[in-house]
Amino acid sequence: MKVVRETELFFMRRMIEQVRSPLWFFMGLINPLLYLVLFAPLLGGIPNVGRDGVADAFVPGLLALFALNSGTGIAWIVNNERTIGVIERFRVSPVSRLSLLLGNVLKDVVMFLITSLMVTVVSNFIGFHIHVLGLAVLFILLCLLTAIVSAACSGLGLIARDIGTIAAVVTGLQLPITLLSGVLLPISFGPTWLQVIAHFNPLYYVVEASRVLASGTLWNIKVFWAFTIMVLLLVVTISWATNIYRKAIS
Amino acid sequence: MQNVIEIDNLRKSFSVKIKGRKTIVEAVRGISFSVRSGEIFGFLGPNGAGKTTTLRMLTTLLPVDSGKAMICGYDLVRHAKEIRRHIGYVSQLGGADMEATGRENLLLQGRLYGMSRVDTEKRADELLDAFQLVEVADRIVRTYSGGQKRRLEIAMGMIHRPKVLFLDEPTIGLDPQNRANLWGQIRQLQKEGMTVFLTTHYLDEADILCDGVAIIDSGKIIVEGTPSELKKRISNDVIQIRLSRDKMQRARNLFEAISFINEIVVEGENIYLFVKDGAQVLPPIFELLNNNGLQMQSVTMTRPSLDDVFLKYTGRSLRDTKEWIA
Repeated sequence: MKVVRETELFFMRRMIEQVRSPLWFFMGLINPLLYLVLFAPLLGGIPNVGRDGVADAFVPGLLALFALNSGTGIAWIVNNERTIGVIERFRVSPVSRLSLLLGNVLKDVVMFLITSLMVTVVSNFIGFHIHVLGLAVLFILLCLLTAIVSAACSGLGLIARDIGTIAAVVTGLQLPITLLSGVLLPISFGPTWLQVIAHFNPLYYVVEASRVLASGTLWNIKVFWAFTIMVLLLVVTISWATNIYRKAIS
Repeated sequence: MQNVIEIDNLRKSFSVKIKGRKTIVEAVRGISFSVRSGEIFGFLGPNGAGKTTTLRMLTTLLPVDSGKAMICGYDLVRHAKEIRRHIGYVSQLGGADMEATGRENLLLQGRLYGMSRVDTEKRADELLDAFQLVEVADRIVRTYSGGQKRRLEIAMGMIHRPKVLFLDEPTIGLDPQNRANLWGQIRQLQKEGMTVFLTTHYLDEADILCDGVAIIDSGKIIVEGTPSELKKRISNDVIQIRLSRDKMQRARNLFEAISFINEIVVEGENIYLFVKDGAQVLPPIFELLNNNGLQMQSVTMTRPSLDDVFLKYTGRSLRDTKEWIA
């Protein structure tokens, strides 16, 4: 099929680009490792968690956070490509706009998988218990999250006037989404109003589900909600971003 | 010959904010022209005249407000997808992948147009050779010189053998040597049967290279034809006299009374006289100025160029319009 073939071309283009600038790959890897080394030990002091459960409680959320961040970089790349005329060159050609977008999304998903598997292995050394099946389902969920962010950021990169705007939007959203997700500390520690707002945060459901899945339980209501929300958001962001690629942008 | 591009009353306006107030800017105000199959067509005009807007409409990048355009027999509004298959477009920015090699750029471009791997490889070799890029083919584009990058981008624009190749200011920023080379290569494309539509603000370029020319200014076509036709429409010779500004009005009044001067255009410190036979009328013009105590700073007489055509129709000289150099 045309879309599949074109998506493969755009995906390979992105992967070659990625391989040629390995610095970004390492920077992406260093971030979660720093969390593991410099933040996870702090959790050991919290009574409810206990020193033994630190890794099991923290690593799933960390992976979710990592999935969120993995899709943001594309906004800068796309914006630069718009500036130097690359996007225009593609838009003059008969290629499907969807495949142009999916090339970006797939590359972010694959890069997330590679680096997050490495983080999982490292986490295993500091006491994270690996339940293979649960983790497999968890990674599917997290790939959806990366895809959502990547599609949204691919669209953002095209409509944002400059990289300053992108930085403002991305960091402006990243921080509240992270704080209200319960990655760093469980939301149940907080007051009621905080818990209420957290329920409007899609990442909250992913983090909740990720702890369930990482513990080896494959299915419960939390997992159901997380998948439902991710699939819906994926459909919305892909349609929105494809539409942006389709429309004329001066 | 058949027309590959036919444009009828095409319009485009933008809404922009000027000092906080929404203003409608009419970038293209009802233009009509046609381009014949196999010709090199020059779309000429200063910056901001509407050249790029027109080009972006014709290449399906920008929706049309109103009017009709047929490209390769397809309606621009209804059949954008078919048109995309049959045209190539090289923007001013070029848009090659900077971190990929020239060859990789060509291969991807061909595949995006649905060409097979084998066919694309063959065509890429052909183009690398034609555009003298064989030696740099496997180097990263970031390391290319301006001329090499431009040649690569034109090669990319025609990898799928389009019927029409649109080039937006193809020689901008190139040195004279590279410009001349590129002209040769564009002529070569024409010999292979391709129609080339290029925008330029270099009049000499349009003059030397193009079979047909349309001059656009402030969103309107002011004149259209072959370069020699256009030049014939103005008088045979152009006399340019340089005077200080305070003497200009008096000189103009004097010249207006003389019957053998067909047209007078004043621009800054220059006054242009369009005459039939320059050599014959120069002595009486000198005499007239001397008798009236008007000291000339310099005089030049030229055969008319497209610049003079532009001057005649707009009252401005394209050569001296400073803003378009940027």
